[in-house]
Amino acid sequence: MDIQAVFIDIIKENEGLILKVVKVYANTKADEQDLYQEIIYQLWKSFPSFRAEAKISTWMYRIALNTSTGYLHKEKRKGSYLPIDGLLINSTLANDNIREEQVAILYGHIRQLNAAEKGIILLYLDDRPYEEIAAITGFTVTNIGTRLGRIKQKIKDQIKK
Amino acid sequence: MELEEMKRLWGEMAIEMEKQKKLTSSLITKMITQDYHNKINRLLLPETIGSLGCLGSALFILFNFQQLNTWYLSGCGIASAIILFALPILSISAILTMRSVNIAGNTFKQSLLQYSKCKRQFVFKQKASFYLGAILLVVLLPVMSKLIFEKDIFITQRLWLSYAITFTFFYGFARWVFKSYNKKIAAAEGMLKELEG
Repeated sequence: MDIQAVFIDIIKENEGLILKVVKVYANTKADEQDLYQEIIYQLWKSFPSFRAEAKISTWMYRIALNTSTGYLHKEKRKGSYLPIDGLLINSTLANDNIREEQVAILYGHIRQLNAAEKGIILLYLDDRPYEEIAAITGFTVTNIGTRLGRIKQKIKDQIKK
Repeated sequence: MELEEMKRLWGEMAIEMEKQKKLTSSLITKMITQDYHNKINRLLLPETIGSLGCLGSALFILFNFQQLNTWYLSGCGIASAIILFALPILSISAILTMRSVNIAGNTFKQSLLQYSKCKRQFVFKQKASFYLGAILLVVLLPVMSKLIFEKDIFITQRLWLSYAITFTFFYGFARWVFKSYNKKIAAAEGMLKELEG
């Protein structure tokens, strides 16, 4: 199997991971599509340097988070994405209004955090062990614990408001 | 919403996301081919055109410099040429700074640090370009008027009055622009402090 076919299989298997990162970092539907494609492009560019000893999800999260952070800092590039309407629209199935509302609140809380905190909370919510969060982010395991404590407090404060 | 509730909701959402697989092989292929990135590079076209315009104008002034026959027109000519050379350098280096981050090799923390430093530099460069652009407006007008229409507008027009009126508006605009620049710098520095602390 050639490298492109292997890469495509990996992306197909892990598209949910990319979608989760995009949902946290992009604010509009257009940004979601643009960021989604930028992440896939960066993953492809970095794929030859991927070492098989690392977990694929660790590597993907690292590239996806690095790309998203850069995306936040760059000037907007409206209209540069491929027209793939409908790809990233739904984060819930069916027409469940209560769920939609809950999901909106969830993203609302996360989007008020800074770029570093968004990355950490995303990995925490995704049930990644502290060791993996540390490997992806470059913070120490202890530091992750401290930061999560601060994030929890921030979210509690947001809820109280 | 408590954090545990957030975690439960996130888990349920993740399962639903997994069910919605929409990517096809051809779509992924399209995303990783040059087509998409060519589109992004095409967005650098305004910067390229602007830079060429600046360099063209600077060369036009230099080739016709002998026509600027008074000390103040020569002074304006030299200042214009220097600024016209400096602006493209600032603009392109600002973009390259933001592109220099190693997405594949960095950890998330390293990228955040690098992007925050780049952002700070980027805004400083934008600020410098803004100042230079304002000076250029003042010095380029009499130079081009002399070179294109052979008129010394310091003598034939009430140029100083126009400068005084323009300055009042420009001052208000500059204050508004710098407020936004300073906000961006403060955000970048806040992030740096948090990461380094």
